[in-house]
Amino acid sequence: MDVSKCTRLSGPLIKQMLNSVDSVLFDCDGVIWRGDQVILGAPDVINLLKKNGKKVFFVTNNSTKTRKMYADKLALMGFNATEDDVFGTAYCSAMYLKKVSKLQGKVYLIGSNAMRQELEKVGIQQTGVGPDHISGVQMDWPNVPLDPEVKAVVVGFDEHFSYMKLNRALQYLNNPDCLLVGTNTDTRLPLEGGKAVPGTGCILKAVEIAAQRQAQTVGKPNHFMYDCVASQFGLDSARCLMVGDRLDTDILLGSNCGLKTLLTLTGVSTVADVEAHQESGCPERLAMVPDYYVESIAELLPALQG
Amino acid sequence: MAGARAFKECRKIGGSQIRNLLNAKDFFLFDCDGVIWHGEKAITGAPKVVSSLIKHGKNVFFVTNNCTRPRENYVNKFYRLGFTDVMQEQIFSSSYCSALYLRDVAKVQGKVFVIGGEGVRNELLEAGIPFVGDEDAPDGTIFNCALASDVKAVLVGHDDKFTFLKLAKASCYLRDPNCLFLATDVDPWHPLQDGRILPGSGCLTAALEVATGRKAMVIGKPSPFMFECISSQFRVDPAQCLMVGDRLETDMLFGANCGLDTMLTLTGISQMKTAQEYRDSDHSTNHNFVPDYVVDTIADFLPAFED
Repeated sequence: MDVSKCTRLSGPLIKQMLNSVDSVLFDCDGVIWRGDQVILGAPDVINLLKKNGKKVFFVTNNSTKTRKMYADKLALMGFNATEDDVFGTAYCSAMYLKKVSKLQGKVYLIGSNAMRQELEKVGIQQTGVGPDHISGVQMDWPNVPLDPEVKAVVVGFDEHFSYMKLNRALQYLNNPDCLLVGTNTDTRLPLEGGKAVPGTGCILKAVEIAAQRQAQTVGKPNHFMYDCVASQFGLDSARCLMVGDRLDTDILLGSNCGLKTLLTLTGVSTVADVEAHQESGCPERLAMVPDYYVESIAELLPALQG
Repeated sequence: MAGARAFKECRKIGGSQIRNLLNAKDFFLFDCDGVIWHGEKAITGAPKVVSSLIKHGKNVFFVTNNCTRPRENYVNKFYRLGFTDVMQEQIFSSSYCSALYLRDVAKVQGKVFVIGGEGVRNELLEAGIPFVGDEDAPDGTIFNCALASDVKAVLVGHDDKFTFLKLAKASCYLRDPNCLFLATDVDPWHPLQDGRILPGSGCLTAALEVATGRKAMVIGKPSPFMFECISSQFRVDPAQCLMVGDRLETDMLFGANCGLDTMLTLTGISQMKTAQEYRDSDHSTNHNFVPDYVVDTIADFLPAFED
């Protein structure tokens, strides 16, 4: 392990580092925006990177928006970006089911309308989206009607999550051939307006405990999201930079895929968190130590403007 | 304490062995689901076993993680299924014991935020503990939910009306490290009469643990607290007790945690094969799931009473 990691990026090192990469992958929450508040300087950073010939992508575990919704939000905040640049877990989960699971059948979905839309776009039908309140008596619940075409239970963020949905998922998962796929395991979901609520990780855990099995997760730190971007755009991992605010998702993804990694301090993780991993000596934790860090991605601006 | 963690043999017993065991013990703790009844149907011979034990001067208690009914409701169920000598005082449910914990151990000053149904709420009411659920703000959403003031504890139990909003509210209350975090039990699923299963309190508790990064204090089996409740109300000698259950990971572990002899009955969830695998396992933690004795059904006690 390179013990000189987690270098504060400043001065000529910034330009040197940027010259060594062709593509930059950005997490969103805590990196380029917080809820609906843009991080000062972030749009200029992204736009200048593109002007300088770098490819720029957005890789987020948030499953509540489609690629189109993200593109609209990015545009509203002044980022030059299109749908093709965005890789959220709603889109990547649909791709995973299509390309990796090669799913032939329907999905029982605990998730958002955005997930439903991304599934439909790749030709996968779902059942279950929306409110689902308990009705009838206890004896009825294990006998809820099951759609025989359902071959997978997929779990993303769902503000309508309820006991009834948990029950339906369990009944489908009684069949050992039914897949269980989760978008991500994040414990908190940032909302517009700066608040945070329990994340998909909570919902997924409830389903895993009931069904007594582990889900296949699609989102960071699993390498699948990088594979999605790389396969569509022919990336060279050695010339890629991952920029994120969370050591256990963003930086770990970067390490797992052989990318350079940059931690920004405008989000969740702190320098103290990094030092704790560094001092642990444990290989799994050392993978969460970034190559570089900045206080905010705005610190990249002077090198990009010069 | 030599007896508590002694090697558990997982021995099937019958006839005179059962008679000797019944003579040696004064206190019999029974789990309910899968041991004395399946849903609304008593296990054949179970009512006679219970009344025979009582007639022979034995102390009988019922220790259940099922928090869906208040105790007075359980008494009705016992009567309905033919267990006519059972009194409320003999019934220890995880909901009743949660109320006892809050009132007598934590001595909570303030309100409890409850994720749970009538079984839990009635017990809090009986114990005089003020609580709030989710009813106060029917049109609240996760974007603007109103929080009650003075919430000093969150109690999670089985809740078929569980919603994401309740999870969000509970995790807000638990941001205060002084707010207690209690779970009635952590059972992941429960079987119904026909063997099909439903999600248990364990799922809801796990969701909240992930949301808060905190571990719940568990009241129900396998935590020893319910035995402490029984001991605080009756003079009980652990060496004179037999814990009878059907679930290795809750009932047998509970018995081991309390220093009791344990018996697995095969009319419920766990199988002999699994008990033997735990016994023969290299991981010593698995040995805590192993029963001392095994019977096919508690009706196997009946011949012992014929004399």
